[in-house]
Amino acid sequence: MNVKQTPPPTREFDPILMAVLANRLNAIVREMANTLLKTARSAVLAVVRDFSCSIVTGDNRLLCPGEGLPVHIFGSSLQSQSMCDLHDDLAPGDAFLHNDPYLGNTHPADHMIMVPVFIDGVHLFTTCAKAHQADCGNSIPSTYHAYAKDIYEEGALIFPCVRVQKNFQDVNDIIRMCKRRIRVPEQWYGDYLAEIGSARIGERRLIELTKRYGIETIQAFTEQWLSYSERRMVDAIKKMAPGKLSNTTVYDPLPPILPDGLPIRVDIAVDPTAGYIDVDLTHNADNMAFGLNESVACATSNAMCGVFNCMDPDVPHNAGSFARVRVHLRDGCITGVPKFPHSVSMATTNIGDRIVNVTQAAFAAIGDGHGLAEGAIGMGAGAGVISGLDWRRDGPFINQEWLITNGGPATPTTDGWLNYGLPVAAGLMYRGSVEVDESKYPILVKHLRVIAGGGGAGRFRGAPGSELVYGPRHDPMTVVISCDGQVNPPQGVRGGHAGPPAATYKLKRDGSAEKLPGVVECRLEPGEWVQGFDAGGGGYGSPLERDPARVCRDVLERWETVPRAHDIYGVVLTGSADDDSLAVDVNATAARREVLAR
Amino acid sequence: MPFRISVDTGGTFTDVVVTDAAGRFTIGKALTDRQRAFASIEAGLAVAAAQLGTAAAALLADTAMFLYGTTRATNGIVERKTARTAFLTTAGFPDILLLKEGGKAEPHNLQMEYPDPYIPRRYTFEVPERINAEGGVESVLDETAVRRVLETFPRRGIEAVAVCLLWSIANPAHELRVGELIAKILPKLPFTLSHQLNPILREYRRASSTAIDASLKPLMQKYLSDLETDLRRAGYANDILVSTSFGGVMHLADVVKRPIYLVKSGPAMAPIAGLAYVEAEGLPNNVIVCDAGGTTFDVSLVRDGAVEYSRDTWLGPQWTGDNLGMASVAVHSIGAGGGSIAWVDSGGLLRVGPQSAGSEPGPACYGRGGDYPTVTDAAVVLGYFDPAHFLGGRMTLDEAAARRVIKGVADALGQTLERAAWAVVAVASENMIQAIKELTINEGIDPSDSALIGGGGAGGLNIVPIAQELGCRTVLGPRTAGALSASGMQFSDIITEAGASKLTASDDFDFAGVNRALVDIENRLEEFADRLRARGFKDLEKRYFVEARYRFQVWELEINVPGSRFANQAQIEALVHEFHRVHERVFAVHDENNAVEFLNWRGRLIAKVNAPTLEPTKALATREAAPDRMRRCYFGNAQVDTAIYLGDKLPVGAIVNGPAIIEEDTSTLVIYPGAIARVSPGGRYLVTPPQENQR
Repeated sequence: MNVKQTPPPTREFDPILMAVLANRLNAIVREMANTLLKTARSAVLAVVRDFSCSIVTGDNRLLCPGEGLPVHIFGSSLQSQSMCDLHDDLAPGDAFLHNDPYLGNTHPADHMIMVPVFIDGVHLFTTCAKAHQADCGNSIPSTYHAYAKDIYEEGALIFPCVRVQKNFQDVNDIIRMCKRRIRVPEQWYGDYLAEIGSARIGERRLIELTKRYGIETIQAFTEQWLSYSERRMVDAIKKMAPGKLSNTTVYDPLPPILPDGLPIRVDIAVDPTAGYIDVDLTHNADNMAFGLNESVACATSNAMCGVFNCMDPDVPHNAGSFARVRVHLRDGCITGVPKFPHSVSMATTNIGDRIVNVTQAAFAAIGDGHGLAEGAIGMGAGAGVISGLDWRRDGPFINQEWLITNGGPATPTTDGWLNYGLPVAAGLMYRGSVEVDESKYPILVKHLRVIAGGGGAGRFRGAPGSELVYGPRHDPMTVVISCDGQVNPPQGVRGGHAGPPAATYKLKRDGSAEKLPGVVECRLEPGEWVQGFDAGGGGYGSPLERDPARVCRDVLERWETVPRAHDIYGVVLTGSADDDSLAVDVNATAARREVLAR
Repeated sequence: MPFRISVDTGGTFTDVVVTDAAGRFTIGKALTDRQRAFASIEAGLAVAAAQLGTAAAALLADTAMFLYGTTRATNGIVERKTARTAFLTTAGFPDILLLKEGGKAEPHNLQMEYPDPYIPRRYTFEVPERINAEGGVESVLDETAVRRVLETFPRRGIEAVAVCLLWSIANPAHELRVGELIAKILPKLPFTLSHQLNPILREYRRASSTAIDASLKPLMQKYLSDLETDLRRAGYANDILVSTSFGGVMHLADVVKRPIYLVKSGPAMAPIAGLAYVEAEGLPNNVIVCDAGGTTFDVSLVRDGAVEYSRDTWLGPQWTGDNLGMASVAVHSIGAGGGSIAWVDSGGLLRVGPQSAGSEPGPACYGRGGDYPTVTDAAVVLGYFDPAHFLGGRMTLDEAAARRVIKGVADALGQTLERAAWAVVAVASENMIQAIKELTINEGIDPSDSALIGGGGAGGLNIVPIAQELGCRTVLGPRTAGALSASGMQFSDIITEAGASKLTASDDFDFAGVNRALVDIENRLEEFADRLRARGFKDLEKRYFVEARYRFQVWELEINVPGSRFANQAQIEALVHEFHRVHERVFAVHDENNAVEFLNWRGRLIAKVNAPTLEPTKALATREAAPDRMRRCYFGNAQVDTAIYLGDKLPVGAIVNGPAIIEEDTSTLVIYPGAIARVSPGGRYLVTPPQENQR
């Protein structure tokens, strides 16, 4: 019963009603997200919010991304498109499970649930809930398989948009397949239900909304809202200077595949006259036999994200504004399009994070006030996937931790955002709670503290990361870590310094520390610990231009250290932070800065 | 003992409401004395007493109940004028208040300043100790280190201490010992222990409530104990009840130990009044309640007949503000009111607020030395406030001063005096409209579905154009608008809660353990109930709740528990069934095959307070409707002859066509040209905004 939509009538739309409806869609997506957060069972979803909800139109245009993770969102419409292409019998009560990265999904660990929403027999919307699973049946106990030479070695169960509910009931064949192959099946099923609930809540609310305002009003609103968003984006691009920008960043070495690391290049063309920005990712290496290749959804999303990070944030984010950014990809390229069966196990993060960074930093070349520094990269120990046995429940456990901080990039007007996480998450994800993690998993966190002086110096400084130590309590535990940024840290722009690199250590029983490589599967016995240092964000502008009062406050509030204030910022302080007497020696600072400037 | 007194101390005005045995409301209003709350209460009481033909002292002696609300705590937090508080945390975890729980608004906006923690990092101290998830001791408390830290506090000027150690909810021994050490070494220093205040899992929320509570203790304990002393000295001998963020009231002695409950005290009562009024009028039960005082503009909501609560309360923005760690009535506040200062920015744009002239010195027209142009001064220039009839004629406004300061704005804008005054009110309205939109449109609520209540002394100035802009078809103007929150207290119940943690599951239900927890809760509520009965409260009700979740879930849902004992498996099955039902309703799914875990059990004691009835008085129905006088008022482009009515002379059913002004003793309702007001059978004003601009 897939009825074609009638073209909506065009008429002037009441601006207040337009604002009401746009916000109502946001509120619906918020309620979907709240449902997923509050009902999920793995900490990566229920605490950390590594998921996104969105609403797509029946003809597959992204209408409302809510406040979902950018990397999850831009591709929702690719997946709903494949739902329409593959199924000509869509009906109320259907739900689809889609994690196929060759058909529009991000990477196999992201299970997307889609519900086609019917009103009076018309497929008007699709509600989407995409969540990063604690496990997806990979050949190793991690959803990130850096060394998978192809999808077969990776091992994830792939669902190319299959019907998982019919008449609002589970299709149990599919559920049984998942329960057989996904580690800790009850945790997976609970998370699956949370996604279904989220998509169904969205369905209920959209039906209520359409009944309240009428199908014609809603269709007219949809067109007006998308064209308004496109106009806003065109206006924003028209204010930019025309030109071509090119930038390269280098992904960390990954022996033996990448002994020297991997340059990631972006070429950008800004055309204010036509109102388009073109982002070209085609000048990159061919696909490689590892899990770091980009999917189409991830490459597109991450390039878009780098662009939108540099635009007026008030421009709405949907198919209307996205139409004005054209991302160019190449078949068989490591930054998309992936050639089957190359693995894209880690497409959402690692090289994906580098694409966001290289794109947003490219805009800094336009001039002061433009672009951003690079943000902290690398899923270090605080984002490790831990697994083993929990003696308290006499059963297995697996989960991705999220106790990293990873400092955000400095901007032309502010210091970096502290809880940044990753470029692809941009501070939106929540932090794990030490107490929740320790109650759900058999670990003990020894300490977790923000690193003083841990951000790249600059007129505005990058945010610092944190240092974390944790380990198993009674039984051995496996930690799988897929870190970047240990060799090539986040770069500053316009004279700003790079942030410090990330690092991982294994702390042994004899008290010694063993440095671990970026990507590692590490087994810890009770009494052993893993220690992680986050990378810090890059700085913006010269540190010698930073307001000395801000440097003084940084030292007082433990963001910076006295030696760094003196050596890097050229700020001479008197008094002590311990009795609130810290102050700037203005003359000595001027002299010191003069010396450093030479 | 016929009288009940409720008082709301705001930033500018102190509102006093007195009800008698017949349910009649008498209102007194006085400027707020920042030094001593009672000074303004006494002044407001004197005004009310005079109307009742008695004196303040006699009124107090003849009063059965005193209800009190104050924005003092909220203002202290917002202005960061609370105590210099130290944060004691488990060693290795100094940044709990800094890191919060992550998350931010606006996915692509990275040009935002990261917020400061509630307690500066330089006043954060790490305590060597560690307890694990099951309550076992991983490392013992280093008392010597604690002593060393505490001994530095006098030198550093620390005034209060918040203690939140990891897993104190599983084993409070270390927190309790730190508490003993503080009491011993620094006996005068107030402190809060997290497991006693708010025994919830999640270190940030628990630490945040602990920090807020501790930081309020020096300020609010002195404030409330001064109030009690003054009231007793003035001859009042009965209950003192204080309004809390839960939308109920508690005895002063109970709230003084937990000043965090005072956050939103006062404003949380406005929607209670709003609900009472729409019910009395038989209006649709969706209401936007606005309360515009001198300093702040508060918006709250009644949806489908229930006051809107927020379970996740942030002071300031979500994620980046400070989490209260507990539920509260949802109130959105901005700095806008009669005292808001008008100024012209460097780009030549007229701005209003957020700075306020407050009550000292107040608007220029108050004649107390204020020299800044305020919204109130603009209203005087426009003719809406009559200098000779302000606050029922008890305060004379200095019209010349108002014209002088508004002239400054007019010159900067290159406009006439009246145009400038009109613009000041229009900009203030715009700020208020944005605040209402944040709570309604931003949540997808269409304001045109709701009635709008304009409360507060300054609320009636511009509620009609605000309604017009939002498309609201009905404005309700209670005659007690000038004291909305204080009026709400008159309808509020006494609400007390007690809780206990007992983790059990549906597939292995611990009957004895749960019943022990429930008995404990019931006993504590009974202690309260006994005291209330002794004070003459007869209508008492106990309700029980439990927070439950499916096994392995992280967040809980609250469900009703039918009684305070569990005797058989059938009762457990009924409880599980109820959980499935609520889960399906809230989250669209349920999981029949999964066990349900029960965690936190809670009991609530509700003591009904005999609320005043809201019937119209007969006296009203017999009077004639005639304007008291005519005045020239300015509306947008011209001075027009405007009828001025006295509220207490308007009979039920009277129709007032704009332009007109209805003066009450403590508020002024401006009926703009094209709007129509009608006096309802309940004696309230129902205003229909001008129709031509309705959507």
